[in-house]
Amino acid sequence: MFRVELISDTSTATPGWSYAPTRGFDPTQAMAPTLGRKRGIRDAGKGGDISSRQANAIARHLAELDRENQRDISIPVPVRQAREAGARGTRAKTTSNVRRILQSQKTFRNHLDDEEAAISSGSGGVGGMQGAGGANVIAAKGNKAAAMRRSATPASAAGVKRPSAAMGMTGSSTPARETTDAETDVDDEARKPKLIKSEYDNDPLLRSYAPPVPSDRIMQRLLAEPPLSYNASRAKPQASGRPGRHFCCS
Amino acid sequence: MGTAKARAPPRTPATPTQPVETSRYLPDKTFIIDNGAYMIKAGYASHAPASDESISGCSSIPNALVKTRDNKIVIGAQLATVNDWNEAMFRRPVEKGYVVNWEAEREIWDQSFFDGKVTARNQDYHIADPEDTTLVLTEAPNALPILQRHADEMVMEEWGFGGYARCLGPTLNAWNEIHSLFGDPVSNTSDASILPADCLLVVDSGYSHTTVTPVYKGQALQRGIRRLDLGGKHLTNYLKEIVSMRQYNMVDETYIMNEVKEAVCYVSNDFSGDLEKAWKSGQKRQSGPEEGTVLDYVLPDPNANKKGFIRPHDPLLHAKKKKGAVSGLSAEVLSEDVLVLGNERFAVPELLFTPGDIGMKSAGVPDMILQSLSVLPTGLHSAFLANVLVVGGNALIPGFMERLETELRQIASAECVVRVRRAKDPVHSTWLGGTRLAANREELSKVSITRQEYQEYGSGWAVRRFAGLV
Repeated sequence: MFRVELISDTSTATPGWSYAPTRGFDPTQAMAPTLGRKRGIRDAGKGGDISSRQANAIARHLAELDRENQRDISIPVPVRQAREAGARGTRAKTTSNVRRILQSQKTFRNHLDDEEAAISSGSGGVGGMQGAGGANVIAAKGNKAAAMRRSATPASAAGVKRPSAAMGMTGSSTPARETTDAETDVDDEARKPKLIKSEYDNDPLLRSYAPPVPSDRIMQRLLAEPPLSYNASRAKPQASGRPGRHFCCS
Repeated sequence: MGTAKARAPPRTPATPTQPVETSRYLPDKTFIIDNGAYMIKAGYASHAPASDESISGCSSIPNALVKTRDNKIVIGAQLATVNDWNEAMFRRPVEKGYVVNWEAEREIWDQSFFDGKVTARNQDYHIADPEDTTLVLTEAPNALPILQRHADEMVMEEWGFGGYARCLGPTLNAWNEIHSLFGDPVSNTSDASILPADCLLVVDSGYSHTTVTPVYKGQALQRGIRRLDLGGKHLTNYLKEIVSMRQYNMVDETYIMNEVKEAVCYVSNDFSGDLEKAWKSGQKRQSGPEEGTVLDYVLPDPNANKKGFIRPHDPLLHAKKKKGAVSGLSAEVLSEDVLVLGNERFAVPELLFTPGDIGMKSAGVPDMILQSLSVLPTGLHSAFLANVLVVGGNALIPGFMERLETELRQIASAECVVRVRRAKDPVHSTWLGGTRLAANREELSKVSITRQEYQEYGSGWAVRRFAGLV
């Protein structure tokens, strides 16, 4: 005789024991108590081909290379009596702004963290100062996206052959209206795509045109753009995605 | 905001400057400070139309506080008096190209520009009456607004300059006479007013970073500015690290390793070939002194008052030294410490071209140029690629220019002409550009603010003004 019982997998059943399904020996499960959690953490931040342990080592190395001195050391600014008495006399009194700046012991990293936090919160340190923060942030993000898109296209094919496509791509960052305006601009003739001299000029498939020079209006628009944020201006990884070189130590 | 350029022409709507425009007073005397992380380049702009010789008006002042081995603290220009650089420690007010610590920077500026009386020695860079001087101060691109604000407040409130312009450093290079550098016909030289170049792609490789800035008619195209967080400092530290691992412990010898770097490093134009060569000449221990990539650097000996120097590698030196006086070497040679530099010579500056060698997920300088162009209209690509100007101390590393031009040629579109030139004096080029901007009073007054305006509208306005928003 045997009896059939419905196993409930809720832990509320009876304190102390419960049914657990078994699927034979599972090596990963067996190892779990010893190194499961740590490995899980280590691989969690895995960005592609390197483990997070390697990534940490690289980050530490880069931070090391960024130091002024090997050891942490404080070099105080010498105290000067003369400043207060003689030299200071001719100058105006130290303002509260100046005093605050001089007393600030913040490092660049501190300032950058503040800035990043402000940008991500939307109110923005940029915005706080500019009064038009939201727009700036959006613009910066848009540029970033545009940069990604474009860098995926190999440079040689970047629209040299197809001026119309090239205009379309610039249009992706400036409003489309801008492009049409440009075409009706005054010196229309000068901005027409110029034929690049080559032996294939007679072949409609192979002849190539130099892309037109953007109009003044577009240039003014570009010049008026706000700067990217510190992190957005950082160089991206190489587009070719060639794997890094490795050297054996000697 | 990173820009310091006022977008003056396209913006006519009422700005606070308009009403006072008529009575604006911008002092005639212009002082230019290119505040580099390693070296401050400073001096007055001469009133005569700037020629290339006016570089003599520029003084270089180390931008650091140094604590020497005997615990003396030495500041700025006084560094020239230091003889013993062993274990010298540095404090630099500039981090990542931006002035972060004004406590230290004020001390250096005060001592260099403001203290004491005018003497024959310091007359080129002594500012006796700031309220009667216009200051042109450079900054690195993409600065944090808070740091910009700090700079403005210090300049206007601590020193009280009569006029002030905060400019993006790389853009000033466009004011230099670059047509002759690129071999273009020099146009309208007789014309009195100096104007910036139309299109210039400035690669600035300095102490703390390397930036690429497309400059259009003297203004930066902000979206195209790219930065690689590698500069001279990282190269020195990397060399220090390799040498410490392979030979002597040099981790505390930043200054000396910097000298070694400047003496021996070069950018390879055939990396794997040079690697092979360096390896082979390391193998041949039997032969005598020979030519090759391997060099010996004799470390300085402050006790004997001797400076460091390079000489051809002698593979037998070590063995001879072991034998001591028997080998017939002079006591002088026996007492000296020698670093043998093989593949270190080119593996270190290689970082600028393949940052992946230290695991950095970033493109090298040539690829960064294309990344910068990729966000600009294609119609401008050919103009920028034909006018690539390299400034900054790393441009002086032998082989840097050749390598950059070769690689850029390979990856750039075949239809475009690629011309890469080093500024005549890559270190002072930005400063010199500043003097030429100052010679064009009209342009200078467009990008400057006056003391009165600052007092009226405050520092928040100044930041917006330099960002071209008002």
